[in-house]
Amino acid sequence: MRSHFDEQLAMLNNELTQMGAMCEEAISVASKALTTGNVKLTDQVLSLDGEINHMERKIETLCLKLLLQQQPVAGDLRQISAALKMITDMERIGTQAADIAEIITFLDGRTGEECEYIRFMAEVAIQMVTESIDAFVKQDMVSADAAINRDDDVDHLFLQVKASLIKMIAERPTDGGYALDLLMIAKYFERIGDHAVNIAEWVVFSMTGVHKGEDL
Amino acid sequence: MTKKIFWSIMLAAGAVLAASLVVIMGCLYSYFSNIQGKQLQDELALAVAAVERNGKEYLEKVQPGQYRLTWVAGNGDVLYDTQSGGAGMENHADRQEIREALLNREGKSSRYSTTLLEKTLYYAQRLEDGSVLRISVSSVTVWVLVLGMIQPILIVITVALIISGILASRISHHIMEPLNSLDLERPLENDTYEEIAPLLNRINKQHRQIAMQMSELQRRSDEFAQITRGMTEGLVLLNEKNMIISINPAALKLFHAEESCKGKDFLIIERSPHVSHAIQDALSNGHSEIRIEREGKEYQIHVNRIESNGSVIGAVVLAFDITEAAYAERNRREFTANVSHELKTPLQSIMGSAELIENGLVKEEDMPRFVGHIRTEAERLVTLIEDIIRLSRLDEGNEMPFENVDLYEVAAEVTAGLNDAAAAANVKITLTGEKVNVKGVRRLLTETIFNLCDNAIKYNKDGGTVEVTVSRQEDHGVVTVKDSGIGISPEHQTRVFERFYRVDKSRSKESGGTGLGLSIVKHAVQYMNGKIDLHSTPGEGTDIQISFQENKIM
Repeated sequence: MRSHFDEQLAMLNNELTQMGAMCEEAISVASKALTTGNVKLTDQVLSLDGEINHMERKIETLCLKLLLQQQPVAGDLRQISAALKMITDMERIGTQAADIAEIITFLDGRTGEECEYIRFMAEVAIQMVTESIDAFVKQDMVSADAAINRDDDVDHLFLQVKASLIKMIAERPTDGGYALDLLMIAKYFERIGDHAVNIAEWVVFSMTGVHKGEDL
Repeated sequence: MTKKIFWSIMLAAGAVLAASLVVIMGCLYSYFSNIQGKQLQDELALAVAAVERNGKEYLEKVQPGQYRLTWVAGNGDVLYDTQSGGAGMENHADRQEIREALLNREGKSSRYSTTLLEKTLYYAQRLEDGSVLRISVSSVTVWVLVLGMIQPILIVITVALIISGILASRISHHIMEPLNSLDLERPLENDTYEEIAPLLNRINKQHRQIAMQMSELQRRSDEFAQITRGMTEGLVLLNEKNMIISINPAALKLFHAEESCKGKDFLIIERSPHVSHAIQDALSNGHSEIRIEREGKEYQIHVNRIESNGSVIGAVVLAFDITEAAYAERNRREFTANVSHELKTPLQSIMGSAELIENGLVKEEDMPRFVGHIRTEAERLVTLIEDIIRLSRLDEGNEMPFENVDLYEVAAEVTAGLNDAAAAANVKITLTGEKVNVKGVRRLLTETIFNLCDNAIKYNKDGGTVEVTVSRQEDHGVVTVKDSGIGISPEHQTRVFERFYRVDKSRSKESGGTGLGLSIVKHAVQYMNGKIDLHSTPGEGTDIQISFQENKIM
């Protein structure tokens, strides 16, 4: 009985890892589409988003089945409930990558090079997602902390993007629409960063049973 | 085994005890009843004698006690009974002991009471007058005897069982002790029961076999580890559940993993969907390959399914670094595109001029200019094709005999040949240095130095200089061509040796080069195992050094 349960837990871990990898892929392809202006890549992001949604349902079903049939306790229960929460954040990352891809299709191949901070944001967001998934895969607190601490960087970068876009609109009012699109993309990257932080926090919770920053 | 021996001993002891108790009880019982019978007989004989003498009188004097005396007449009527006096008792003629006594003078019988707990023994004797005197005693049956003795019997049984239990445990331990203390690592050195000697021999043999197989396995796994450790390709062995069985250092480096990842899921070290997909693909279709990029390097990953007896038992993941191959491939593609372009341009120009002449649109006096144009373009084509042929010869690596060449002599020939061209470009070319002998191909060396000097003149400023120096540095012969020309900016420096690469695309026509000069230099120097160094500062000049191993044996 227990060994069957262990197998199912391992399967849950594998599928979460795969889902996380898909999120990484989605956001890095979206960022590549932005920086290269290659609109064709956006289709790839949209199909990845579809796969991520499908994966969320699959993992959710598995988690509920485990909760119902095995009635796990202690660490196992934490692991499964953390998984349930993590897939929600991963799904949001996938959807936001798809949203970015959608906006890119309206940019007419412009790559946002006028505002280099947005590229930094994309890099940091990718880094955060990678670190949070790494933290989960390797059960590594250091990576989780790294992802959580990087959130301030993204927030700070977002403010810089905003400032530089305001300047851009002031200088070239005709680019107003373009600037707003870029602002939305930046906001999505910032949101992705927040979701990565959530994932990292859930990883910490599933390992320690304590939410980060919360004392017993 | 100790337990089994213990219980066997206990069982045997118990069985023996039970059996002997039964036998003893039986013997005791028959002994007692025998004695009782004899006593009864003696009593009867005494009573008979007394009755013969005193008749009923005696009987009346007998106190009713343990014994009961009954006097029965010859016809079976009871004359007297010591217990009830005899009146009203039924006829006893049909009693077995009476009948026997009437018939044989003596008779006996025994009857059980309904409860079987009591047995009445009867002895009868015929008197002289034909009547019968019977004596009876109620005696205990064997069951009562057993019941009566149950307490001592139980005590005996308990004590016996306790003693045999202690003994059995001692004995079984004693029997097992040598077996338990067997040294199975050195089976033949044990001094124990000879019955298990064959077993020990067998164990010894198997020990040797196992040791041999272990060392063979160890040797093989060492071999495997040695081979995979030295590989530059990353190698990962997975089982059918995607678990890492073995991973070599190159793969550890590629996937940023640690040795401890063995036995874990491959997803832990590499979770990219492409790779996972490729592995799944290989597990179901037998083979797959993908290309991935890691830290600016390109890897080709082959995944092959491993089968044994028709079932899938895992997969091999092999990662090749194909950065250079990919780069070469890109170069080749660019080269083909460049060659077509470079060949087409002069031909277009020739065709244009020829068309103009054909249609009579060229005036007579302009004719020499157009024909001259066609000739120069054709010349360019020929030079280009010659250069390409030279390059492809170098590429193919056709054997060219090495000989002893004096670098100074070659440089002198080249600079002398280029004097006119230098003068035309208003550039001063000088040669300094000493004689240095190297091993090389004279034709290639001439070409190399020619190309370098030619470039130095072409890409020079008006009134500039070209300094050619031949020197000996340690055990190398070095030719330095230093110009005061336009220089090459750093981003171009690494690429100028590529085929058809031009720093200034617009200059190709006026300088008349083919874009292959430096590429030929690079290949020629490589062919002769030499080295090229390029130092350049834009606007100040370029300094190219080629060096070859000095040939000291003349």
